[in-house]
Amino acid sequence: MKLYSSLVLVSFLGLLVITVGLFLTIIIRRAIVQYREREFAVRYREIEVELLKLLGEPGVDRALALADRYAKFPHVLTDVLLNYARSLWGGERAKLSAIFDRALRPRFRSDLSSRRIVRRLRAARLIGFFADQADEAVIQGLLRDPPIVRLAAANAIAQSPSTEAVPIIFRAFETDDVANAHAYKNVFFSLQLRAENGIREALRKSLELEKIEILIEIVGAIPIIALAEDVAAFAGHSDKEIRLRVAQTLGSLRLPDMLPVLLRLARDEAWEVVAQAIKSLGRLGRSEALDVLTQALFSRQWHVRYNAREGLLNMGEAGIARLEQVAGQTLDRYAADMAAMGLVDAASKGGA
Amino acid sequence: MKPGVLALLNIFTQGILVYFLLVNAIYMLFVVMSAFGILRHFRWTRFLQTQEIFSSPMSKPISIIVPAFNEESGIVESVRSLLSLEYPQFEIIVVNDGSTDTTLAQLVENFGLKPVRRIYRKVLESKPIRGIYTSSEYPSLVLVDKVNGGKADALNAGLNIARYPLFCAIDGDSLLDRDSLLRVVRPFLEDPDRVKAVGGVIRLSNGCLIRSGQTVCLRLPKNSLARFQILEYFRAFLGGRMGMSMLRSMIIVSGAFGIFRKDIALACGGYNPNAIGEDLDLVVRIRRHCYRKKIPHRIVFVPDPICWTEAPERWRVLARQRGRWQRGLLQTFLFYGRMVFNPRYGRVGMFALPFYLLFELLGPIIEILGYLTFVLLIFWHKVDYPFAFLFFIVSVVLGTLLSISSIFLEELSSKRYPRFRDIFILGAYSVLENLYYRQFLSLVRAKAFLDYFRGRNVWGAMEKKGFERT
Repeated sequence: MKLYSSLVLVSFLGLLVITVGLFLTIIIRRAIVQYREREFAVRYREIEVELLKLLGEPGVDRALALADRYAKFPHVLTDVLLNYARSLWGGERAKLSAIFDRALRPRFRSDLSSRRIVRRLRAARLIGFFADQADEAVIQGLLRDPPIVRLAAANAIAQSPSTEAVPIIFRAFETDDVANAHAYKNVFFSLQLRAENGIREALRKSLELEKIEILIEIVGAIPIIALAEDVAAFAGHSDKEIRLRVAQTLGSLRLPDMLPVLLRLARDEAWEVVAQAIKSLGRLGRSEALDVLTQALFSRQWHVRYNAREGLLNMGEAGIARLEQVAGQTLDRYAADMAAMGLVDAASKGGA
Repeated sequence: MKPGVLALLNIFTQGILVYFLLVNAIYMLFVVMSAFGILRHFRWTRFLQTQEIFSSPMSKPISIIVPAFNEESGIVESVRSLLSLEYPQFEIIVVNDGSTDTTLAQLVENFGLKPVRRIYRKVLESKPIRGIYTSSEYPSLVLVDKVNGGKADALNAGLNIARYPLFCAIDGDSLLDRDSLLRVVRPFLEDPDRVKAVGGVIRLSNGCLIRSGQTVCLRLPKNSLARFQILEYFRAFLGGRMGMSMLRSMIIVSGAFGIFRKDIALACGGYNPNAIGEDLDLVVRIRRHCYRKKIPHRIVFVPDPICWTEAPERWRVLARQRGRWQRGLLQTFLFYGRMVFNPRYGRVGMFALPFYLLFELLGPIIEILGYLTFVLLIFWHKVDYPFAFLFFIVSVVLGTLLSISSIFLEELSSKRYPRFRDIFILGAYSVLENLYYRQFLSLVRAKAFLDYFRGRNVWGAMEKKGFERT
């Protein structure tokens, strides 16, 4: 028992020291963090005031002087530059670049190729505003980093992409794992119409199904009308998910020319595709689709009936008339109920 | 006294010592893992702006489901807070679960709600819906009035009405930080296929002030019971859940604040109305479903999105709440016992469930048995008092160390209590809680076993003061 008691006594003393030490660490750490935060805020205000003064002036001399003065506070300076770079363009942005080149570029370069993820992530935030041609190879490397860095890098590239950067993004997308493919949606969306050629070329390659789905989806999300034909070419694809995305995207593009494709998809064997095609037909709002939408009210699938109802409501008086017609019939109670609810909805929104 | 009995008691005492060492070692491991996880999370997210998530086309819309039963004291404030959330697209579905107070009237009056006929698909069974209300002033708000059927039933009714692919279940007495959704949704953006559910931090609003529907935490509550619970929540969320998440073994996403993919919840049959702990039950079923169907999945904890909720400030109410949680845990093991130590269920079967079984479910019973053994040994004059005293103070210091560690984790994450004084008060309560609070909870949790097997499984009323406004 004596051995036990000694062990317990030693444990007690050890634990007591650790506990008190940890508590003191909390207090000291908090004091240091608060001091640093205060210092950061003071320094940030100082830099900001000087930056605002020099922004209206010609030349970059004062900008370079500012860079020299605050080069020893890289974190604060980076924050100020990033915050202002988002809202400044042209000559004023050039002053920020001058400050960056003078005070931060060497650090930025070493961060870009650092082994530490946090430093690469920090550098990735600056790419969009301050990277130049010389950094291209390293940036491409970031697109193979863990998701969080890749997303940040790709986002940054997409914010102000050079003509060389767009193909890099698509090459990375094509060669990356399918599991990472979703991360690119954000990037493609940020590229907006600049993504057109890249998507067109990618759609012509034999990529994994998930990647094709993403590309088709993004055409509708941006939207890129010029790619409607390329998307429609997938309407007969054997994969249900792809046909579903085609129906969705063609609805988002709202092109009357795509009506025949959507009408064909509205007769698809998979009810999910039919439901989506009916929804898209409703969004198109063309009178040629009235019969198909009315017929869809009698579908056995709730989603198809619901989308048909919404589509008819979207078609104004002609659609309301069809809803009234179906609500009045007694052959199919489900269709009648769905139509009646649509009419109530229309009345409550002042549409009837 | 027979020597055989004494020998048995000795073996039991030594077993308790080993158990004590094991449980504390695992909790310390969690603290260390959590510290790494929190540091990594905040280092990485320091460079990410929630605004990017706000404008991302990948951000999926969210249905927020708020089951409310007799929540008149805080429901209006809670809904106001939800309406002011920053998120690109969301709807709020408040399900009035047959409240007998003025919950329904307050909602209708404060938000100009009017009854409508709305089509919905009854995918999950729930008690009949008496009415659906919407407001032209707040188009994203839907109120569902239904017959009382319990929290799980109300959540199922909300799921039937929900339109969006993600849903967030929160309690009617909770408030979310304005950017909570933007933060909690991040894992769904980074890994959209595998992430099935995400949990955030729950913190106690006692002592905090509400300004424009947002919690401004300036001070600790005066009530000592609430202070003990603050420490407990630090330990549970920043220590336990974060540690479990790091070990990819999360099986609890708190019912007060968690986001789920709707398709997976529906595939598992939604919430189980017969479950006492419906949140734990759903997550375990999602895990079981994914393992059985070989679906790659992740359930993640994110340490910075915060949901505020009110803690009980009376011993009796606290006992009722903790008894219910313990009965929920017990019921989960009775329902899903076959998953324990079953390699088919991966880390959940081989680590998470055994951990909860041995340390969370059986822990209080073993602790109470330890106290009883001690009393017996006193009665038989077989106690080595110096050793017992030393052991007692070691256990107090170890308990204190765990609580201080959780304060440290809080310091690494959000630092919501700005005054140094609050840290000292929490430090003092870290010691105090080992002297009577922990024992009280063990007793309550051990009693929950008896209540469960006697069939005393009522939810019990919670007394709430409501939020303090500025």
